[in-house]
Amino acid sequence: MLTNRVRELRARFDLTQGELADRVGVTRQTIVSLEKGSYTPSLLLAMNIAEEFEMPIEEIFSKEEKK
Amino acid sequence: MKIYIMIFLRIMLFISLAIMVFDYLRVEQLFIQMERGYIDEFSVGIIKWPGYVFISVVGLLIAAEIIRFFQVRKNKNSILSAYLTAEYDVSDERAVANTHKAVSLAFVVILTYSFFMIGSYLFIPNYFIDHIWYPMFTTASIPIVGLLTYLITYKALANN
Repeated sequence: MLTNRVRELRARFDLTQGELADRVGVTRQTIVSLEKGSYTPSLLLAMNIAEEFEMPIEEIFSKEEKK
Repeated sequence: MKIYIMIFLRIMLFISLAIMVFDYLRVEQLFIQMERGYIDEFSVGIIKWPGYVFISVVGLLIAAEIIRFFQVRKNKNSILSAYLTAEYDVSDERAVANTHKAVSLAFVVILTYSFFMIGSYLFIPNYFIDHIWYPMFTTASIPIVGLLTYLITYKALANN
């Protein structure tokens, strides 16, 4: 399972879900699902998000073992 | 909303086509029965509304298909390569993934449902004499069941 810090970083960068969605080229619903953890992004989307937050991918997305 | 309209139009297309074919076969069957001497005369009334519905739905579907294609092309986030019909949501990668999952489930349901529909002919052995509507409407029900499965699955995934 992939966990992420998108919600936290979005708040830090003062972006709305819609703004982030526009910047990374997806719909707002995708950002909502991503933050809820119910959607695993493609590598391209993960790279776009990392680029937007100017951070390495692994600092935003991390693998969590299933319990 | 778009997906509801598209699914509704597709279902209307199949229903109106099934009714039109049934109506034609019903008259054809009466002619054959008369030719073979089973009946001396008959009177028929042709139902016009399925034809009007069919033509209107075809027109609306073509228009919707063209409009949707240009909308998809205009939207910079859309994945144009995944676009096939107006029911497909290709607005971004998650929408495409959800569409694929919904189509996969609809395919499985169509396979299973078709199996039972073919089997159901066992219980209506005289369908070609007394129940000529049966093959038309069972055939039409196959894509309708598939479309409804697609719609329900897609909506469930999209709201997740």
